This record gives sequence, C-alpha cells and structure tokens, in this order.
Amino acid sequence: MIETIAASRCPRCALVVAPPAAYCPHHPVAMGPATLSGVGEVVTFTTLHTPPAGFRSPLHIAIVELEDGARFVCHGADTRGLKVGATVAIEAIDDVYYFSHLGALDRARLFWRRAGHAGDRVNAIARSLAKRVFRSPTVNKRP
Amino acid sequence: MQRVFVAGVGMTRIGRRSEPLAQLMADAALAALTDAGLETPESVVVATMNPEEFVGDGNFASHVATHMGLADVPALRIETATSSGAAALYTAFAQVAAGLRRTVLVVGGEKMTHLDTPRVSEIIGRSIDPYERTYGATMPALAGLVTRALMSRHGVGAREIAQVAVKNHAHGARNPLAHFPTPVTVEEVLESRIVADPLRLLHCCPISDGAASVVLTAERARVRIAGIGHGTDTLAVRYRRDLTAFTATRAAAREAYAMAGFGPERVDVAEVHDAFAPFELISLEDLGLLPPGKAARATLDGDTTLEGRLPINPSGGLKSRGHPLAATGLAQIVECVWQLTGRAVGRQVQGAHHALAHSIGGLATNNWVTLLESA
Repeated sequence: MIETIAASRCPRCALVVAPPAAYCPHHPVAMGPATLSGVGEVVTFTTLHTPPAGFRSPLHIAIVELEDGARFVCHGADTRGLKVGATVAIEAIDDVYYFSHLGALDRARLFWRRAGHAGDRVNAIARSLAKRVFRSPTVNKRP
Repeated sequence: MQRVFVAGVGMTRIGRRSEPLAQLMADAALAALTDAGLETPESVVVATMNPEEFVGDGNFASHVATHMGLADVPALRIETATSSGAAALYTAFAQVAAGLRRTVLVVGGEKMTHLDTPRVSEIIGRSIDPYERTYGATMPALAGLVTRALMSRHGVGAREIAQVAVKNHAHGARNPLAHFPTPVTVEEVLESRIVADPLRLLHCCPISDGAASVVLTAERARVRIAGIGHGTDTLAVRYRRDLTAFTATRAAAREAYAMAGFGPERVDVAEVHDAFAPFELISLEDLGLLPPGKAARATLDGDTTLEGRLPINPSGGLKSRGHPLAATGLAQIVECVWQLTGRAVGRQVQGAHHALAHSIGGLATNNWVTLLESA
C-alpha cells in the first residue's frame, strides 16, 4: 500500500514541495495543491546518537526524492544496509512520516501499478535501471 | 562609491571565557580602536546571533555601546545567524562606501560555554526550518546529511574529510588565540564519537566564547576591502536541488569577485567557514579556489596547508580557533588583515597580497564572501 503525500506546486517554476507551502520559496506567488505517491529515492540520510530533546536515540533522518523532484524529510526505523539512491516507501504513522526499504515484490507491484500499457511499464523499468547506472554523473553535475 | 579601508583590528582569545559578553566585545572593540589610533568612531555596528537566549540580554547594540563608553555614537545590530559578523562588516562597509560615515566600528561576539551542549544545540537550531526541526534536525544533523551526500561522490572519503580537521588543528596550534590549539591525527578524528553519522565529533567546531572587531575608514590605510558579496538560499534544506554545493556561497563569491575586479586566481590566503570539516571541501570548490571535484585530493596532497600552494584557514579555522558565532565572520577578517600586514606571527603566509574570508549563516542560507587586498 503506497501512501499519498500532500504537496504544493509553483505555477511559475513548477517546483514541487512537500508538505504543502503557501508560497513558492523562489517566487512570491501562491502555490497550487498537488499530491505525490509515497515512494522515492534516498538522497541522503544520517543517524543521531544524541538527538534533541523529545526524540529517542538512535534517530534516523533521511531526505527522499519523490516524484516531480519533491524532496521529503522523514524518519526511519533502521539505516543498516541503506544506500544513497535506494528506493524506499514512505508511510505515515500518527502524522509522522517514515521510510522503509522496498522488497522486490513491492517494486514489481509499483511498476505494474503505473501505466496501463505494457510498453510504458517496460519503459518505466528501463528508465529506473538507466537512472541507476548514470547516477553518479547526474548527482555530481555542477553548473 | 567611496573606497573603504581597514584602519584597525582586534580580537579576544577564543575559548571558555568568564567575562560577560559585553566585556568580551568591549575588549575586542577597544583593541581595534587602539590599533586604528582612533578614540571615537562615527558609528558602531554590533553583531551577536542570539544574546536574548544565550545570555538573556537584548537591545545589544545599545548595551555594548553604553558599556564601552560609546553611548553617544549611533549603534545598530545586524543578524544573519552564524554569519552575523560578516553581515555587520558589510553594513559598516556600506555606510563608509556610501559616504554616510567616515569611520565605523564593527564588533561581533557570542557567549555560549556557560550552557550545556544540548541547550546550545537547541538555540543554534532555531535557525533551521521549523518543519525540519519537527523531525529532529539540528545543525550537526543537517551537516551529517550534507556529508553523506558528499561522500556518495567519487573521491571524497572519510580520510579526506578528516584531513581538513587535522590540517586546521595544525594551523591553530600556531595561533595563541585559538580555542583548541592542539594537534589531532587522522586516526583520532576517525575514532572520535559519531555525532551525526558519518559526521564525528572531531569533524565539528567547538562551542566557544569570544569577540572580534574591525574598524573601517574612508582614509587610506594598509588594507582595502576590495569586494563584498552576499548570497542566499532556501531556509528549508529539502527545497534544494544539490546538497554537495552551496548556492549561497557561489552567489556571494560571484558578487565579491565582480566588485573587486579580480577572480579566485589572485587569492593568496583564505579563511573558510569550516564549522564542519566537509564544509571546507565544498566551499573551496564553491569559491572557485579549486576546480570542481578537486578539493579532497588537494587537501590530502597538502596544498591547503600553511606551506602549501593555497593556505586555507591559517588561524585554525572554526575547527581549531573556535566558533563564537557572530564573532567568527569578523575573526576571519582580523586574521586576513594580520596576514596581509605581516602580523600573523608564527603562521605568516609570505607575500600575501589578496585574502578571502567566507562565512556561512545557518545551513548555508545566508553566506558572505569578503575580499581584502594590501593597498
């Protein structure tokens, strides 16, 4: 079961942010509503062993890139074996978002849920693989 | 635009200090005024990031001015989180450049060591996006996220990052005003406690007290402020496309180089904001001092040591000299001026004519680049 995450989209630059925001951080215009599927790629993550007051140790924090480039801050139960670029699912528990590793079955289900045509599904899988292969140059790209 | 010169500089020893904040700032300011041969400036610009919470006092421009006998001189306070000192320098620069004032005293300081580490972390953390804070984000946590993203790049490993701390402690060991003038080894850094994985304790700057001060003037002096640039970025880290470069530094550098009329190739020595060791690697590339992807290798090769091709953080940087928040941006200017006037005893970079100071506010939301040249 994939969560839906409420987000906002800038009508001027198409930036998508989650959770929703009143104004685009780059333009003084009101953002419109958007919804995102709660699955994405780990951009980065960390573990705090002495977290701030009100949090239990160890505290796992990750930034996950959802569809349309929206980056999302969430917690996780564990970061063992987690790698930058891994696909994770986002779940809400009591309004707090957590990431969890996706098994092979979840991945397959995700792909089948996508487009209606077999061709699109194959394309989606190919894109995902290609993204993986070419990850380093795109992540490292500097203007 | 009126040309702006540095008439005098001064700073306190950085570390655990018993004096009240206003006294530390008065000590630095009076040292700078003495250095400038001036008793009364035409205006005062004060920088402190959060005296309301750190020491429980507000209205701090009037507080400092009154304490040090400058109650009759117009004083104002400037704040851009951890880069407040650099922002105050810019404000003073603008007053002189615009011809509004002939001499301006800038003084920045912070006092934090009387509080315990979680409380200091909480107060500094107020400069982070409120939503991200609800997920436990502190400055070290965000720096940990940046570090992990950086280390997923080819060629940036734990050793390269540790070497920044080793190098800056080696420099700080030659600075009598440094908070931690003690050398550390790569092994000690790599074995220190994990703060925000993969960031370790010895990758992080200490919590420090101290103050630093600069007197600017329209009269010709030995060092000129050649350019100042200001760059900004989103408060929320999740709004950014790239965590391994700081947009705010790049924008600030572009503006500073354009104002100065020269580029990074002229810089002989630089003070760079290494609140967390990996930030020095990121910043060296953002500032154009090293080509993209080359900072880690150059650091490992010793290019950025005092004896290297491009000495970075001769003072010891935030890592070893210490980071009394709003004092830091000005302590960097003090070091640059000492380097340009041959007064950096024990750590002098020979023949330095152009210096750069780089200050980060918050998690790179409000950054400054200042270029100085011997006049």
